[in-house]
Amino acid sequence: MTVFLQSLLSGILVGGVYALIGIGLTIIFGVMRVINFAHGDLLMLGMYVTWGLFTLFGIDPYLSLLVTAPVLFLWGALLQKVFINRVLNALPQNQILLTIGLGLVMSNGVMLGFTSDYRILTTTYSSSSFQLFGLSVSQPLLYSFLVTVAITAALFWFLQTTDTGQAIRATAQDRDAAQLMGINVKRMSVLAFGLGTALAGTAGALLAPTYYIFPQVGGPFTLKAFVVVVLGGMGSIVGATLGGILIGVTESLSAVYVASGLKELVVYVLFLLILLFRPSGLLGKSRT
Amino acid sequence: MRALLPTLRAPRGFSAPAFLAYLAVIALVALVPQLSRKPLILHMWIMVFLAIAQGSAWNVVGGYAGQYSVGHAAYFGMGAYITMLLLELHQVAPWYGIAVAVAGSVLLSVIIGSITFRLRGPYFVLASIAMAEIIRLAALHFKDLTRGAEGILLSSIPPLETRWFTVRFLGKVPFFYATLGLAVIVISVNWLVQHTKLGYTFQAIREDQDAAHSLGINPTLHKNLALMISAAFTASAGGLFALYVRFVDPNIAFGIDVSVQMVLICIIGGIGTILGPVVGSVVLVLLSETLRNPKWLVQAGLLGDESPTVAFIEGRLSNAHVLFYGVLVVLVVLFAPDGFLGLLRTAVARVKRRLAARRSPPGQPAGAA
Amino acid sequence: MPAILEIKHVSKHFGGLAANSDVSFDVGLGEIVGLIGPNGAGKTTLFNCITGYYPPTKGDVLFKGSRINGLQPDAVCRLGMVRTWQKVRPLAKMSVIDNVMVGALARTHSLQVARRVAHEKLEVVRLDHKAAFLAGGLPIGERKKLEVARALATRPEMLLLDEVMGGLNQAESEEIILLILELKKLGLTQVVIEHDMKAIMRLSDRLVVLNSGEKLAEGPPREVATNKDVITAYLGEAVDA
Repeated sequence: MTVFLQSLLSGILVGGVYALIGIGLTIIFGVMRVINFAHGDLLMLGMYVTWGLFTLFGIDPYLSLLVTAPVLFLWGALLQKVFINRVLNALPQNQILLTIGLGLVMSNGVMLGFTSDYRILTTTYSSSSFQLFGLSVSQPLLYSFLVTVAITAALFWFLQTTDTGQAIRATAQDRDAAQLMGINVKRMSVLAFGLGTALAGTAGALLAPTYYIFPQVGGPFTLKAFVVVVLGGMGSIVGATLGGILIGVTESLSAVYVASGLKELVVYVLFLLILLFRPSGLLGKSRT
Repeated sequence: MRALLPTLRAPRGFSAPAFLAYLAVIALVALVPQLSRKPLILHMWIMVFLAIAQGSAWNVVGGYAGQYSVGHAAYFGMGAYITMLLLELHQVAPWYGIAVAVAGSVLLSVIIGSITFRLRGPYFVLASIAMAEIIRLAALHFKDLTRGAEGILLSSIPPLETRWFTVRFLGKVPFFYATLGLAVIVISVNWLVQHTKLGYTFQAIREDQDAAHSLGINPTLHKNLALMISAAFTASAGGLFALYVRFVDPNIAFGIDVSVQMVLICIIGGIGTILGPVVGSVVLVLLSETLRNPKWLVQAGLLGDESPTVAFIEGRLSNAHVLFYGVLVVLVVLFAPDGFLGLLRTAVARVKRRLAARRSPPGQPAGAA
Repeated sequence: MPAILEIKHVSKHFGGLAANSDVSFDVGLGEIVGLIGPNGAGKTTLFNCITGYYPPTKGDVLFKGSRINGLQPDAVCRLGMVRTWQKVRPLAKMSVIDNVMVGALARTHSLQVARRVAHEKLEVVRLDHKAAFLAGGLPIGERKKLEVARALATRPEMLLLDEVMGGLNQAESEEIILLILELKKLGLTQVVIEHDMKAIMRLSDRLVVLNSGEKLAEGPPREVATNKDVITAYLGEAVDA
């Protein structure tokens, strides 16, 4: 029983970070209808920025978020203005190819600059854990989870109450109607992509203390982000949150009860099942 | 503007001069090993032929039928693994091994098709990626079957003994001809597809599946057919590749870069055409091999032994080819969606129009926009 | 007049929405039936059900005496019924002639024969001079004509036209009207969805009116046009007929 609970708990904690990645992707899709295949590589950039700040200046990864998130936001906004904007009305295949290309440039650019050596970011608490009701809770994972909860709450507040947030939601619901109501949809796209990138980068920063950091680390995260988003429903933030946790738990339990080497395989099989039998996900809007 | 440009497709039908030119090119290329035995040069050609085979194979389902699978590594890897497993573990000669590998991959494509073709657009793309990943992870995990991450190392290839001659697989020349043969076959298949009813059917499905359905076309049947054809040749390329490099492991076989590269070859060259994958292959292989083994330039006599360019590439850029792929893709998608070939054709069409305008008086044909 | 198409109590539900409710009417061989009704009345849904795009929830569709509900659209096409689309659907990156050839290839395996048929049909709609042009670059009027030519190339016995005159100017609409009348002379049975009232009155042997998924009226054009319920449906309750 303890094994089950332990595994469940780690799953939830990791799931929080998956949720963050998924939320970023779903915002991008919701507002721009763009399938961003470079999402995992944006996460990778967040990891490297965090690692850089830690290695050069000794800044704790959770503190450096205050730098990492805005930097990634600006990077995302730049990508959108220069590249993504040109394919907003193109065939989905071309959007996919463009983002794949951008992802390749980012991951291989980093590889050229930093080599493929695995980097690690070890803080004083990287391998510490708490004891909670007889279960061991990894300290960094717990901090990540708490930060994720805080960010998600802040995001909800932003989207529900602020004017800009509501404008983003309006654009996601109906781009044309939003434009007719005077919302600058171009600006919304820039904001959405910037926000999505910042969230991905933040997820990377949160994972940095516990994961190996290397240029190609983004790939599997992109696919997992899509699983999260499809499970939760494309365009639904609540869905992405639930989806993230569910995927985290599935992965964790599969590692214990199926086989450690197959935990990702189980997630992808689940993905196919969802695509086949419930493509709109748990809470999704249908694609127009 | 586009209404004025006559269709850029070549006239449909067998064109004798084009066919003769094609045969001449093949004959010339076949002479290469007789002129030069330099290993790096032959290696380049082999990689180009393999890339043409993979790109052209993908083109059938991705270019003509419009189904953008980014998980074709599933078939490439299946071809590689079955061939290697049969040869190394069971001493089955590779010419039989590849045949079995092709059959296995076609079967796999039917399974994958039945799952993924229910999905459209980006969902289809995602499902194809997921399928290849599932197979890769399975290959990594089930070590008893596949030797897992350790991979399979080939000890030797038996000689091919026929009544008239014996081929020993030593050195690169046999592989030069084997891969050339495969490339020619796959290009011919592409030509057949484009110039028969099948080509029209596939392209109609690509352009508008529902409209095609209402015009008497069964999309499910044809999408699966396209995939089966594509899988068969992708697997052949996988098998030959594994035999040539004498090693296979789950990442080499099923990695997503394998899948992405196949798509890139077609996008960069010109999707949905016969020459597109050829152009794309030449560009991509030249780029990657030059960056990986710049010494081929020396062997080809293009640069001196002590050339600073060679040193620079070896020192700084040795694995940068994927970076350049990424840049190329971005440029192509943004500025040349029909690939290099499309750029060429637009340029030719523009020249033709200017010549025609000079010959006839101004007074545009009906429909001038 | 023998009925080539029999629609018997067809209903189509999408979740809770009844897009078609118990619609029944026949189409006689060689007739032109005009299918009219306000927006959202369920006309295109009916076309989709008839041609197999999705099956009706209830009811039967008989074509030339046999049940076709449940058949796939390609089978329906081979039986001799073809439709055009409300939002025109050219095969954009293929040439005009190739577009029509796709239709012709429903009946032959030979590219040569298909090309000949395609040129024929393009001449019928007066688009043959643009045979080599890319379909996606044509203006809307010509795209509609292309779609008709493509449908004709499948050698149908029955043609369903969904707002083929939508977005066309006077001259283009007139061309289409004359084409439809000419096709009738050649023996083609047609059902035409149209909003252009003058056109539909000229073309139709009979009118069928749908409203909110139900059949409201059926009969000769003059009769239906003066039907109180029909007028109310189009103009709203406030009008006194």
